[in-house]
Amino acid sequence: MQAQRRTDLPHPLAGLTVVELAEDPGGEFSGALLAEVGAKVIKVEPPGGAPTRQVGPFAKGEVGPETSLNFWYYNAGKLSVTIDLGGPEAPPPLLALLARADIFICTLQPKALRALGLDLERLSRDFPRLIVVSVTAFGLTGPWADYKSSDLVALAAGGPLNSCGYDDHSIPPIRPGGNQGYHSVASFAHIGVMLALLERQKTGLGQLLDISMHEACAVNVELANPYWFYPRVQVKRQTCRHAQPSPTQPALFQCADGRFVYFTLITTEQKAWQALVGWLDQEGLAAHLTEPEFSDAKHRQDHFSEIQEVVECFFLVHPSDQMYKQGQAAGLPIGVLNAPEDLFSDEHLAARGFFVEVEHEDLGKVTYPGAICRFSSFGEVARTRAPKLGEHTQAVLAETSNTEEDVA
Amino acid sequence: MLQQRISRSAWPEGQTDKTLADANRLRENVGLSETALRSPASAKGAAPQRSRTPGPRQGPLAGVRVTDFCWMGVGACATRLLADFGAEVIRIEDRQRLDMPRRLPIYKGEARTYGEEDANPDPNKGGLFNNYNRNKLGVTINMRTAKGRELADRLIASSSVVTENFAPGVMERWGLTYAHLKSLRPDVIYARMSGFGHSGPHADFRSYGPVVQAVCGISHISGLPGREPSGWGLSYMDNEAAFFNAAALLMAIYHRNNTGEGAEIDVSAVEAGIALLGPILLDVSVNGRSTRGDDFPTGNRLEHPNAAPHGVYPCLGDDRWIAIAVFNDDEWRALVSAMGDPSWAAEPRFATQAGRFAAQDELDAHVGAWTAGHDRHALMHRLQAVGVAAGAVQTTEDTIDHDPQIAGRGLFFEMDHPVIGEALFEGTPIQFSRTVQENWRSAPLLGEDNAYVCKSLLGMSDSEYEALVEEGVL
Repeated sequence: MQAQRRTDLPHPLAGLTVVELAEDPGGEFSGALLAEVGAKVIKVEPPGGAPTRQVGPFAKGEVGPETSLNFWYYNAGKLSVTIDLGGPEAPPPLLALLARADIFICTLQPKALRALGLDLERLSRDFPRLIVVSVTAFGLTGPWADYKSSDLVALAAGGPLNSCGYDDHSIPPIRPGGNQGYHSVASFAHIGVMLALLERQKTGLGQLLDISMHEACAVNVELANPYWFYPRVQVKRQTCRHAQPSPTQPALFQCADGRFVYFTLITTEQKAWQALVGWLDQEGLAAHLTEPEFSDAKHRQDHFSEIQEVVECFFLVHPSDQMYKQGQAAGLPIGVLNAPEDLFSDEHLAARGFFVEVEHEDLGKVTYPGAICRFSSFGEVARTRAPKLGEHTQAVLAETSNTEEDVA
Repeated sequence: MLQQRISRSAWPEGQTDKTLADANRLRENVGLSETALRSPASAKGAAPQRSRTPGPRQGPLAGVRVTDFCWMGVGACATRLLADFGAEVIRIEDRQRLDMPRRLPIYKGEARTYGEEDANPDPNKGGLFNNYNRNKLGVTINMRTAKGRELADRLIASSSVVTENFAPGVMERWGLTYAHLKSLRPDVIYARMSGFGHSGPHADFRSYGPVVQAVCGISHISGLPGREPSGWGLSYMDNEAAFFNAAALLMAIYHRNNTGEGAEIDVSAVEAGIALLGPILLDVSVNGRSTRGDDFPTGNRLEHPNAAPHGVYPCLGDDRWIAIAVFNDDEWRALVSAMGDPSWAAEPRFATQAGRFAAQDELDAHVGAWTAGHDRHALMHRLQAVGVAAGAVQTTEDTIDHDPQIAGRGLFFEMDHPVIGEALFEGTPIQFSRTVQENWRSAPLLGEDNAYVCKSLLGMSDSEYEALVEEGVL
């Protein structure tokens, strides 16, 4: 059963309006992922601005609500509308926006919702086509629903942190960088919104989605879950490689330029072994690994530390970029540990035109990551900078009042 | 109130157009779901035995058939989302080259480390395969034979979505280009999931989670300053790339419903990973920040905002920890009070957020000395009760078996499997008030649905089917 066919849609979500009331990167990234595919995302902020405008880093070190790179990153392509959300009742301008919206993203936890007079279930009833997406720390229900969180706390309580850190367990688990707890829940918000839109295509009805960062983290631990589901064993963290029930060999190799490559030395697979030795030999550094007894997997296992040593030395005398490309050419899954600054000059990303330039009046062009998904059938949305505080209040609210009578 | 997690309320609301047979099959599912819904800690006994025969599905993707060439983690995790919500996902498998999750020794009652494979594994025993392939159908097709490729074409012609995550070139070798797929099914959606994408000089590079994490930068930005990166202890990017791929498929299906137009989708896991670097990427591109200096990465400390204390501190027990994050003076005062107003906390250098941020070495030593005498969970609840963000570093034993927040919302559920028996599954961390996640079956046995797919879906005669079996095509 298909909804009405239309041919005028340049982007998958063109024509859809999202209202976003988000105070953290989880909700903001959720909105940004929808803006990236053509939805019109209206960010509702209190007159003083969203709290995320106060979070650095700041462009050129100038602290202010319009220079937060944190805000820029998560709010590119959105519109900003200021509405006084003082409570205790939901403000009429917000309700007017929601009456015309398709999706409402809200990060407020239950206590905060009550304080502002926002009842998500009621909104869902009052606006039957609206998809209400609650993106919170722990979900809207349960004993921890009002517990405070942060990226670190979410990764800790949800489980991913337990797998991350160093071989040395006197060092605590170490948080992987980049707000990944928030990104995890935003990924599910994106999926949830799409499922709800598909549901609405069939039934014409919206609904309420209650999405928990805690749970998003709890399903984002990869092998640690099946290791507990099945053998009921716990994995233990290891330096920059999979946490495992028992220790495995190091996988980071330092190169001549001080940089690292990731390479799992597996000696049990004949093809991978031959590829490795062939590569070492081609560089004249295979040492005794070319000797016939090393073609036997058992012998290799018995002499693993010798092999490890040869490979360590090999990497140590070559630059990381060369090791990455040569290793890949030899058919080995090897990766160089790029720093963010290395990516802008990566030949592969350049050839794919991944990064995009976004115009900022005061700075000129700023480099942002481009669209994550490429589709043959629709073009990419040209990315625009994050809005200034209240930049679109007048235009958006005027539009709302003009057409209010048309809204069912 | 919100409905409980939907697998719990699998009874088909608004499904009045279903036939009686469908309804009966769905009723069986409810029997399953009722069991599945209890928290694992309280789930006792075996779920009722029920038919493993496929049939009509419910959910927003009901009616969408997927010819699924995905394997390993990324692809299987992406198409699991489709299968959970009603798509008829038909996994194509190769008997000669078993999917890695079928071979990995993640077995009930047997603890082995990843990589220590059985030489001759029972392909139906692998827990990881079960985890990634619930709610899907499974057929085996020998794609090295002309008849196998012909069969795949028939299946694709009867599907509307094709998915794959092979190394670039494999699908082309079988003739399965987008142009060919379109000739079989004009509005086909062809989702191609890879490490580096299907264009560019590194398109052929080999990758799996840790390699993607290295190349995209998210390993480098994780660790203590002045040491090697600690990176990731899991293939985070296998999961995240899977989620982006699932979202891309849903967007393409939504778009096709609107326009009738299909799509070829190209998602590079490395590019998805770059998009997950977060604001540090703009710090580099706008401010020229170097992330290779001695001040980066920052371990568990948070530069933006200047939170302090912000770290992971020891607790009672072996390798037990708590994360604490203090963002402002109110939270600091609450923490100090919870610590019993120790005299060190009154020192002027700890009086402001900026002062605490500057004196984190001393601050962390004091806080860690205090937490070390406490149980991580008791301390978490005590700090949360006074408004301090704190979370025990939980293991999967904690989250799956004991976490009352998760148990109350029914995130994990159980299903039976003919070889493995009862097993737990990780659900979807979304509670929908309307959309149904229909958990109808655990993962397919190797070739379990060969006859159903060939005969019931493709209308093959018994003799044609038997011939394919005999010739080793299936």
